[in-house]
Amino acid sequence: MFVSAPPSPRTDATLRAYFDRRGWKPFAFQREVWAAMRAGRSGLLHATTGAGKTLAVGFGASLASRRPASGDSTLRILWVTPMRALAADTARTLGAAFAEIGAGSVGLRTGDTDDKTRAAQRKRLPELLVTTPESLTLMLSHPDTRARFSALDAIVVDEWHELLGNKRGVQTQLALARLRRWRPDAPIWGLSATLGDLDGAARALLGPSRDGLIVRGKLDKTLVIDTLAPGDLERIPWGGHLGIAMLPRVVAEIETAATTLVFTNTRSQAEIWYKELLNARPDWAGIIALHHASLERATRDWVEDGLKSGALKAVVCTSSLDLGVDFLPVERVLQIGSAKGVARLLQRAGRSGHAPGRASRITLVPSHSLELVESAAAQKAVREGRIESQTSPDAPLDALAQHLVTIALGGGFRPEDLFAEVRDTVAYERLSEQDWRWALEFVRHGGPTLAVYPDFKRVEPDAEGVWRVPNGRLAMLHRFNIGTITADAGVIVQYGPTPPGARLGAVEESFVARLRAGDKFWFAGKLLEFVRLRDQTAYVRPAKGGRATVPRWGGGRMALSDTLGDAMVELMGAAAEGRFEGPEMRIAKPLLELQARWSALPTPQTLIAETLKTRDGWHLFLYPFAGRHVHLGLASLIAWRAGEIAPGLFSLAVNDYGLEAISADERDWATQLPALLDAALGLDALKAQILASLNAGELSRRRFRDIARISGLTPAAHPQARRTARQLQASSSLFYDVFRKYDPGHALIRQAEREVLEAELDVRRIAETLTRMARKKLVIMPLKRCSPLAFPLLVEGFREKLSNEDFAERVERMATALEKAAAR
Amino acid sequence: MKSFAWNGLTLLPQRAVWREDTRVLFVADVHLGKAAAFRAAGLPVPAGTTRENLARLDALIEALQPRRLVVLGDLFHARAAYREATLREVAAWRGRRAHLAVTLVAGNHDASAGAPPASLGLELVDEPFALDGLELRHLPRDDDAEGPPILAGHLHPAARLSGPAHDSLRLPCFVMRGRQLILPAFGEFTGGSLAAADAVTALCLVAGDRFVHVPAGTMRRALARR
Repeated sequence: MFVSAPPSPRTDATLRAYFDRRGWKPFAFQREVWAAMRAGRSGLLHATTGAGKTLAVGFGASLASRRPASGDSTLRILWVTPMRALAADTARTLGAAFAEIGAGSVGLRTGDTDDKTRAAQRKRLPELLVTTPESLTLMLSHPDTRARFSALDAIVVDEWHELLGNKRGVQTQLALARLRRWRPDAPIWGLSATLGDLDGAARALLGPSRDGLIVRGKLDKTLVIDTLAPGDLERIPWGGHLGIAMLPRVVAEIETAATTLVFTNTRSQAEIWYKELLNARPDWAGIIALHHASLERATRDWVEDGLKSGALKAVVCTSSLDLGVDFLPVERVLQIGSAKGVARLLQRAGRSGHAPGRASRITLVPSHSLELVESAAAQKAVREGRIESQTSPDAPLDALAQHLVTIALGGGFRPEDLFAEVRDTVAYERLSEQDWRWALEFVRHGGPTLAVYPDFKRVEPDAEGVWRVPNGRLAMLHRFNIGTITADAGVIVQYGPTPPGARLGAVEESFVARLRAGDKFWFAGKLLEFVRLRDQTAYVRPAKGGRATVPRWGGGRMALSDTLGDAMVELMGAAAEGRFEGPEMRIAKPLLELQARWSALPTPQTLIAETLKTRDGWHLFLYPFAGRHVHLGLASLIAWRAGEIAPGLFSLAVNDYGLEAISADERDWATQLPALLDAALGLDALKAQILASLNAGELSRRRFRDIARISGLTPAAHPQARRTARQLQASSSLFYDVFRKYDPGHALIRQAEREVLEAELDVRRIAETLTRMARKKLVIMPLKRCSPLAFPLLVEGFREKLSNEDFAERVERMATALEKAAAR
Repeated sequence: MKSFAWNGLTLLPQRAVWREDTRVLFVADVHLGKAAAFRAAGLPVPAGTTRENLARLDALIEALQPRRLVVLGDLFHARAAYREATLREVAAWRGRRAHLAVTLVAGNHDASAGAPPASLGLELVDEPFALDGLELRHLPRDDDAEGPPILAGHLHPAARLSGPAHDSLRLPCFVMRGRQLILPAFGEFTGGSLAAADAVTALCLVAGDRFVHVPAGTMRRALARR
């Protein structure tokens, strides 16, 4: 067969010229990517930020794109990026580069794209389009997209490590599966920062049936990790996670650097730190700022611009600034409290030192004394090159249900075709026929049996057997909901109501529900007074002084990684033998010696448990160092198994180092514990036990909240549909109760349970942890007073309850306590 | 405690109030057809809540044999409640209870749902409605003017019961505020919000088939938002 190669508009010579003009030389990895993409191969490029990834893959894509444009299908390269802010910057960079090498036009399509640009894009798409997973999914919900994508020659997914482990990544996998069907020859490339398992990451990107190349970029940046040590151990508390005791030292550090990023782990913590910094240095008003995901876009843009221009001295932020464009002026990165994982630590460190010849530097600020050990452990892990892996979620049905409606809108589907397509993703490669049928039934009837859900209909097959959305209003609602995998269902905070003023951002509904007119709270770095709630908007006015709360946002507290946990236990093991290496371990020495004296130190060979009796009840403490999620599962399991021995009520608290179970009634934990830690159970039996423990607790109820939103059960707040709200307000918790009672087998309930099992609790890891614990020597120490390891658990405010006793007995105990309290 | 008395009325853990001398049964906030309203909007809430609500009413009627049932507002949730499936169940129930006088003090949801079909034979009255020396309302009064005892609904009040080992339960409750008694929502699928602690004079939690009376000293804690 003879095929005449069409002329390529861009040759290597063009690219060489681009580099020559700058006096640069292409790196070996860039040439490797170009060659692979020209040959039509897919792959994953792994390199740090600022290493030249964008040019490697951007130019590579232009090489893969050979045929001249024809007719309407002008789009040649699709560039998916997880962040809107990053999208604009990428489009600028690529636009300039493409203009210079004579490649096509570059455009942008995200939730922020204005109507005029959208209208222009409806007529003609640019050659390269930068977009987000949500906007890509939205495009798939329009029937003409297939034709408009028919000349697509290359697909790039930026920052793949940010998407891989979550449902936005699943959404991306599903979209990619569709694009692979449409354009089987177009190479797909992912860009990723440091990951433990690059092969797995590449497989999730390219799908189980496609091979890919893994290219490693240059990784030569010098990295400094150190600790902002307190003068002496007395200065920081045993527990807590705010770290405010370190405020004076942090102020002093910010003072010395031109620009500092201060990372915190939660939005609440960021709000509090910003407020405290301003309190300490009122003269910094205007040159320090706050950045987190719940702030209004305009505010965040202002902060990002200030970082780029160097106008800001410090920004207190959350993971909202983990990614994104390089802020050249940033000299220092401070991490308040634990970074939880080595990969995240490296990512955050990489936000500093972009100026030539400068090292990336991250300084850990311990919020409690054990974080000194964690800091030493992080440095040890980085030295030894131990980095965490990420895996794709396994067959989440809410994202699948959403995808079915998307595709039904985007021209419809035949179930057998779509089933094959969906299974061509790593997330759904093991999707069962049964779950697939459930998802179809869910979007068609609302549930497995028609009788249970009269009046409900979202998608149905037409006369030809193609499944479509019959109702235009539902189409609109669905398109709005596509974005909600990321967005929090929030209440907008705005000055007003008369006159309506600026919007500040969004807080959670549950927070606003607890406010009464006149209550004060800190948000967006401002002290506000709540006026009233109307149409999903909380109206506020500026306030002065007085008691104020800080909103909390649920979800997503990261767990300590195994890598970091193991390194901590190794260091404590060394401490048990009297070895304290490095400044952090030397400062922590008195505390660790106290732990050894009052109880015992955990080591790689021993598992420590402690028991204590207080006014609250009979306590058990256990320290597996496996991260808060695993500990929560273990704590539930231990309490459930204890309840099987004798029914009771248990209060559970966890942190990243260990867990606590309090029994309301007398219990001999020391005798029962070996049986409670039984590891000889198969995975399925263990799953059944954990599932039973879930039903006795409240975890799946909370998980259900997100699932209800993503699957379209509880619509997110949205500007056009605000009027529908009043009669359709029910909390996801109420939904959960109704489902549990009237349709207990409902697949979304099952999914909530499964997600708690797999995502939040991770049965596999619980099983592994049980096995690992069984290999260690169990040391049970009765405490006379609370040990340093036990203290943070004892004072932990957020607790899970687990009860397998009769409701009436539980009420009786509380009523008795109430009467006693009243009699005192 | 199986029942609790207030101004000659009997509070029932079934989230209702019984007046023995005139044989009148009071409930508030039934929200029939709420699930149907969700389904009509494309949200798959399972059916069964309406049947359950009516069955719970039936159990009370069987036990007490009232002459009149007074609903203190929000009997129906929304216009969608008048759709066939829900209405058929309500009409069947009304047929079984044809001799029972049913009075509905119009609430905010009733207003937006529109008047219920005349075939249901409900007496629709506006608040405040005077009945045998009681003032009946949907919305509680927010002043403390003198007057007869008031029964009201609307708030779906709830409060917290707490005990050893950090245990706590959020339970529907009756709230007594001076001369007002605010009833918990009767309906399934209604939810509740913590009652405002101001001016509460007594609090009675509903825990399954029993009451827990909250002593005055611990009332603030039961209503504290956290």
